[in-house]
Amino acid sequence: MLTKIAGGDIIDPVNGRLGKGDLWIRDDKIVAAPAGGAADRTIDAAGCVVMAGAIDIHSHIGGGNVNTARLLLPEQHAAHQARPATTPLSNAGWSTFQTGCLYAKMGFTTVVEPAMSPGAALHTHLELADIPIIDKATLAILGNDDFLLSMIRDDASSQMIEDYVAWTVASTRALGVKVINAGAAAAFKENVRTFSLDDVVPSYGVSSRKIVKTLQAAVDSLGVPHPLHVHCNNLGSPGSADTAAATIAAAEGLPMHLAHLQFYGYGTEGKRRFSSAAARLAELVNATPEVTIDIGQVMFGQTVTVSSDVMRQFSARGSASPKKSVIHDGDGNGGGIVPYSYGKDFYGAMQWAIGLELFLLINDPWRVFFTTDHPNGAPFTVYPALFELLMSREARTEMIAGLPKSAMALSTLAAIDREYTFEEIAIMTRAAPAKLLGLTDRGHLGAGAIADIAVYRRDGNIAKMLGQAAYVFKDGDLVVQDGEITHYRWGKALRLNPSPDKAMVRRLEDYHQQRYGLSLDWFNFPDSAIAREQPFGEVACRT
Amino acid sequence: MAVAWIGNRETLVERAAAHAAALLGSSRCPVFSLDTDIHGTRAAIALAERVGAAYDHADGAAVSRETALFTDKGAMTVAPGETRRRADVVVIVGELPQIHHEFVGELSDTVPDLSAPDLTGKNQREIFLVGSNGASAPPLSNGRTATLLSCGEASLGATLAALRTQCRGRQTSQPVSNFDDFAKALEAAHFPVFLFSGDATEGLALEMLQGLIADLNRKSRASGLHLPARENGWGSALASTWMAGFPLRTGFARGFPEFDPWRYDVARMIAAGEADLHLRISSSIVQPQKKRNRMALIALAKTQKPVAGAAVTIAIGEAGVDHEAVVYSSRTGSLRSIDARAASELPSAATVIRLVASHVSAEAALPC
Repeated sequence: MLTKIAGGDIIDPVNGRLGKGDLWIRDDKIVAAPAGGAADRTIDAAGCVVMAGAIDIHSHIGGGNVNTARLLLPEQHAAHQARPATTPLSNAGWSTFQTGCLYAKMGFTTVVEPAMSPGAALHTHLELADIPIIDKATLAILGNDDFLLSMIRDDASSQMIEDYVAWTVASTRALGVKVINAGAAAAFKENVRTFSLDDVVPSYGVSSRKIVKTLQAAVDSLGVPHPLHVHCNNLGSPGSADTAAATIAAAEGLPMHLAHLQFYGYGTEGKRRFSSAAARLAELVNATPEVTIDIGQVMFGQTVTVSSDVMRQFSARGSASPKKSVIHDGDGNGGGIVPYSYGKDFYGAMQWAIGLELFLLINDPWRVFFTTDHPNGAPFTVYPALFELLMSREARTEMIAGLPKSAMALSTLAAIDREYTFEEIAIMTRAAPAKLLGLTDRGHLGAGAIADIAVYRRDGNIAKMLGQAAYVFKDGDLVVQDGEITHYRWGKALRLNPSPDKAMVRRLEDYHQQRYGLSLDWFNFPDSAIAREQPFGEVACRT
Repeated sequence: MAVAWIGNRETLVERAAAHAAALLGSSRCPVFSLDTDIHGTRAAIALAERVGAAYDHADGAAVSRETALFTDKGAMTVAPGETRRRADVVVIVGELPQIHHEFVGELSDTVPDLSAPDLTGKNQREIFLVGSNGASAPPLSNGRTATLLSCGEASLGATLAALRTQCRGRQTSQPVSNFDDFAKALEAAHFPVFLFSGDATEGLALEMLQGLIADLNRKSRASGLHLPARENGWGSALASTWMAGFPLRTGFARGFPEFDPWRYDVARMIAAGEADLHLRISSSIVQPQKKRNRMALIALAKTQKPVAGAAVTIAIGEAGVDHEAVVYSSRTGSLRSIDARAASELPSAATVIRLVASHVSAEAALPC
């Protein structure tokens, strides 16, 4: 079928296409305007902005810890309306079905779950497979697992470590690798309560820095498109900016992605010894081209923190609101679930401001990514309001007026004039994520790209405009019209598929037999276990 | 071999499914009892939404106690693999279901290899059992016995409370037996692990256990290994949580999911006469149940004959025997894919449920 999206304001930074024009789709792909071709269907996009489908690189949408959070908080996500007949379970509060629908309505068509425990890969993929409409991907967590730490301790060759990383990525169907507070979860099991970049995991004699550098090198050497995704040490602590700065410096010319930098943007100035270090971190990011970051913006209200940084979550138990939490010591990282409410008090306001400062002070929209670290900073449903704050100084000023002056005095936010343009939004939420993840088939509107397209009706109210797309196409299929889901379709989980080294597989089989008393078969699964047609889409490694 | 019946009359599966759908369509208050794998659960929940049913595990009480620990209190837990590799002190809390006895035996037969274990020269884990006098632990290796921590005939909850109190250095009216041994073991331990299940353990006892674990973690490390009362039940609870946002004992009576562990206790709904249709999904051979007035039964079971009293019976295969499946594994603490041990032509529960659903009128296809 040939579809013409006619007369919209096209914003496609990758192909340098900015301005009024038509966009053509044939079946599931974007095509050049056919010579004399008559469209089977024409979408009137006059008065609309047309962009590629948005990509979220860091949102906790599925897997063991996310599901435990749902289990912990039934009172926080009740459904509230009768179900639409065409979208079963889409109103089930915080369900996989609702997740896909809410993302699609905002024009997002690909979302990355950034923290998959390798041992729970099947569970994670089953949840992702029940998220309708959008494509998904996930990153495998390494860096607290005994097998890797033992290899580093024993000075294993870089080839062996790469073989292990490749096997993990392949067997878990991951799109990349994440390290979370490297070494801290292993140290926590030995009763260590704080852990910094140069601290050493007791039984291994291996520092956090060494783990990060080892994984960074392996990921780069394997040609994994997405750089090592790093959740630094000391998340949330006053003075954590020092840790983030040290980690940025540790990139040393190789690509590295730092997750939710806002949670490390904390200095120790002021009488509360909690201040904004955003300007300092932004300057470092601006000066370190091999580093990319996402923000993890805080917005006010109730949420739940979900993290595989079990040491950090354990220390945060006292702040749980409501007063309950789950702390799990897993085979590698495990995780912690701590509900939390961000109030408009000094600390909440400070965190809110720091995130926005980072967004606005990091110059290159190709290296800063739009996230709330859903649900840690806020649920992804706040994205429309966050877009408005980035694109309107007036909206920020209005918010600042309602926040504690003591907090704003320790932040530069009020003095920042910058307003994001639609082109910068398109880079930050489309073009750059696709580039960062190695997804050449999306994030732009050039011929040959998959037809993931979001059409927004212009409105003075940015939040309204970007919160409810006029039209969304997924693989050329019109799935959203006037902000409502028209029907389900089933996306894929995007994965890499490096060939596992046979010797490493044998070694892992022995390891699992000896250490866990189980065959490796207990942890492997065939694609058919997902019970959907073509559940995975393969992405190539760099050659 | 006949695989479907309407009443006692053999029929085609397609016809039985259509009849089941008609019964579901005309039901005022349908309820589902699940004892099935993950995909069976997913299909059942999708059908439940469509027909406005409530669903629960077939042995809902035990699963509900474990669920309540998480929904009401939270917990500190540890993976089974870490337990095997790290637990130098193992504390069995109350009676554990038979399915976990093999793992307990394995723990008694192995030693931890992580956390620089100091096994005080014994080269074996210290194993304790919390329970009343006469309580028995699962069989341990080499004829070992677990050291009993009890307060006479006091309940498990009361014993755990006394244990917690004594661990805090306070006195109790009735001391816990062998407490000094326990305190000494804890003192030397790197990572004690408490094995618990909701099978025979009341909710307050589970909470008290978590209080004890939290206390221990103030200065050292400890955790609890959740050994679910029913593996299928916990698997279904997980699948329900991601699909509906809520665990088992969720109902769609008003068109959207509502979680209410009392109201949607399916056994209670049946006993109270609230339910007028019962869909029972279990690959094991089901026993006839007491006939209740006005309540029809649709039985999906591994059977070669119609289930007594059922309006519709459809034979299904057993997960991991007749067909491949995804199930919860308490040995790994996560979901696991299993092959068919003796593949047969019997359909899976998910296949049959989807067939039934295809006969229920709706505007959209089921999502799974």
